[in-house]
Amino acid sequence: MKIIEVENLRSRYNGLNVLDDITFSVSEGDYIGLVGPNGSGKTTLIKNILGILRPESGQIRLFGQDRSEFHAWYRVGYLPQRLSSLNPGFPSTVEEIVALGLISRKRRSGYSVDAYRDAVEKALHMLNISDIRKKKIGELSGGQQQRVLIARAIINEPDLIILDEPAAALDPETREQSYALLTHLNRQKNVTIMLVTHDIGSIGQYANKLLLVDRRVVFYGSFDEFCSSIHITDLFGTHSQHVICHRHEF
Amino acid sequence: MEYLQYGFIQRALISGVFIALICSTLGVLIVLRRLSLIGDGLAHVTFGSVALGLALRIYPLYITLPIALVSSLAILKMTERARVMGDAAIGVVSSIGIAGGVILASMAGGFNVDLFSYLFGNILAISREETILSIILSVIVLGVILCYYHEILSITFDEESARASGIKTDRINKILVILTAVTVVLTMNVVGIMLISALLILPAVTAFQIARGFKSSLVISAVTSVLSVILGIFISIAVNLPTGATIVLTNFFFFMAAFLTRLGKDHL
Amino acid sequence: MILTLSLLSLTGSACSPGSGQKEKRPEIIAVTTLFPLYDFAKHVGDDRVEVTLLLPPGMEPHSFEPRPSDIMKLNRAGLFIYTSSAMEPWADSILKGLQNKDLVVIQSSRGIRAGTLSEEKEHRHDQSQHPESADPHIWLDFSNSIKMVENIRDGFITKDPGRKEIYEKNAAAYIAELKKLDDRYRENLRGCRKNIILNGGHFAFAYMANRYGFRYVSVYGVSPNAEPTATDLARILKRIRDNDLRYLFHEELINPRVAETLSREAGVTLLKLDAAGNLTKDDFYRGETFLSLMEKNLENLKRGLQCR
Repeated sequence: MKIIEVENLRSRYNGLNVLDDITFSVSEGDYIGLVGPNGSGKTTLIKNILGILRPESGQIRLFGQDRSEFHAWYRVGYLPQRLSSLNPGFPSTVEEIVALGLISRKRRSGYSVDAYRDAVEKALHMLNISDIRKKKIGELSGGQQQRVLIARAIINEPDLIILDEPAAALDPETREQSYALLTHLNRQKNVTIMLVTHDIGSIGQYANKLLLVDRRVVFYGSFDEFCSSIHITDLFGTHSQHVICHRHEF
Repeated sequence: MEYLQYGFIQRALISGVFIALICSTLGVLIVLRRLSLIGDGLAHVTFGSVALGLALRIYPLYITLPIALVSSLAILKMTERARVMGDAAIGVVSSIGIAGGVILASMAGGFNVDLFSYLFGNILAISREETILSIILSVIVLGVILCYYHEILSITFDEESARASGIKTDRINKILVILTAVTVVLTMNVVGIMLISALLILPAVTAFQIARGFKSSLVISAVTSVLSVILGIFISIAVNLPTGATIVLTNFFFFMAAFLTRLGKDHL
Repeated sequence: MILTLSLLSLTGSACSPGSGQKEKRPEIIAVTTLFPLYDFAKHVGDDRVEVTLLLPPGMEPHSFEPRPSDIMKLNRAGLFIYTSSAMEPWADSILKGLQNKDLVVIQSSRGIRAGTLSEEKEHRHDQSQHPESADPHIWLDFSNSIKMVENIRDGFITKDPGRKEIYEKNAAAYIAELKKLDDRYRENLRGCRKNIILNGGHFAFAYMANRYGFRYVSVYGVSPNAEPTATDLARILKRIRDNDLRYLFHEELINPRVAETLSREAGVTLLKLDAAGNLTKDDFYRGETFLSLMEKNLENLKRGLQCR
């Protein structure tokens, strides 16, 4: 099944054309690495997919449904690049923030208080943050905050997880643990993952497909295709190609 | 205490408690979204619109309420679209309000009741109808906050993620901003700008000193606010001080207590 | 003569003050600060004098701040009439900055001792300790008004000695009116059931009360902006109860909320008293004068104090 379908997407941001005629689709179980230079529109793209931004023109479908009619947002987990503006004094506890992820389930009948509590426990445990559950979000280190937000993103056991630069400014241990968790979800639970990253060196280790965007789709396909493409060599040179490809297990 | 037999004291207590509930809960949201001075800003706008109402010989409330609604929605739009930070947006709207009022006042050459008295109120002078109004308003505000509690927390924490969860952020933002405008306009004439502005900010800031969690913040803010009103009224009777100002000072007292508590905890 | 004068003053106040709509060009421009001075000056002067009022209708005298156009008016004026530094604190600084050498300044309160009051007051401050904050509404004692008219007349004569007789005649006529007013007050306020004037506004009527032998209590002090405390309100209510009053007085130009609260709580009716510091817009368009306002006050005083 196609999890994400994007057709002829055109998007503007602050009056500028950020995305031009983007077309691609993501199948169930894919692990997409979304890369591109700064300002290439990667974040804009995922914001369009998630409904945070509205496209200028084009079509977006999620789980086969047109995005404007899609309401099962509990099937989608999102980790933003950075919080819009985190007030260090923000009073919410880790528990409260993680529980926020369940909001999309709130109105669905049959979700009891116990199920709610269990889900929170599970998510906290999975990200190793049960011991800091009562701490205020502003009191945490960058790595801890990230784990809280990941917990929020996965608490619904979503079928699709979209992450925007999750590894930026993280300590290596947290980074490794996060990637390990994502790989586990993708390989064992068949969760579809789309990950925006600058870390082209290691993305090859995890992803099975590469989406290279620079206002348009420069490349979209498997790593096989990417690594053997002469076209790519012409564009980027052998060195770049090698950096990305050498980590990938064929 | 013999003062309790007076109707004006009873009304002050009742309406004070409900106004405190409204302002303390809205205040938590307002302070977190960096819109703390919106009470002040809207008061300045109200000043201008009262001038307009008096000049046009229309009952001021019919002008101040719509203009306050428009202004607060404008502030919201500015923070979203024009990327103006909340406090600057408030400043823009507020200065237009005051300037407009001053010009209108001097052009119209005078009014029947002094314009400035609309900015100052006295909680001891609240009427029965205004008390009932404050109860109704507080039921509405608390109802909205309870009903949309999780959505509001989500939006206040991170608006984009909230939108990505399918929450209708535009609608809820508008509702909150409208509630704030209505609260400020309706209560300003009754208890005055000083009291409203303080009640919107102080309890929230007090709560943030010691609360752990969003829900806890709302509760502590509400409790602090209500206690300040009740204690403030009684103290002002006992020591013969202006009631509104005493409430504000009592509130500040609670804030200092919370602040020192936090300092104490941090240093242990 | 008196009829012509009153007709003139009526038409004069029907236009905006100082609009100078006269056929003959005015020879003297007199700028006054408060309404009573405006009205007095209009009666002392004739149609060769243009009297203007600085305070726009509806504005509380204590809130007034002069605009550039006001300063310009003063630069062209021949006479400036004000009450005292206590009532118009902004007057001194304006006068200092003026470059008008021909301006004759009339301090209409000259020769009148303000603050010689032994009234009871509910305001917290003991008035005897602050002579500057003494009640400046001196014109509400008509013997003071007469003195003020005399001061104004003398000022006019200093400025325009050639028409001395006219000013003396006009002043005398108006003073006669004031005396008659005083007599009417004295007569009508004799034998009243109540002997205390209770005002839900500020301190202004102490002079009037004093003159006719009434006690006077007000909720606010001299400045109308101080906030009454719960104790202040309770004390007033006690007075109403103790004196078995059926009426409470309140003032123009001040938000009536406090007075309304008191009247509701005590079950008494509100009656308006006009301190005549300024006119409301409505009064202005109706062409009220100092005398007409004082007549209205008398009516309400008679009712409120339950006289004969």
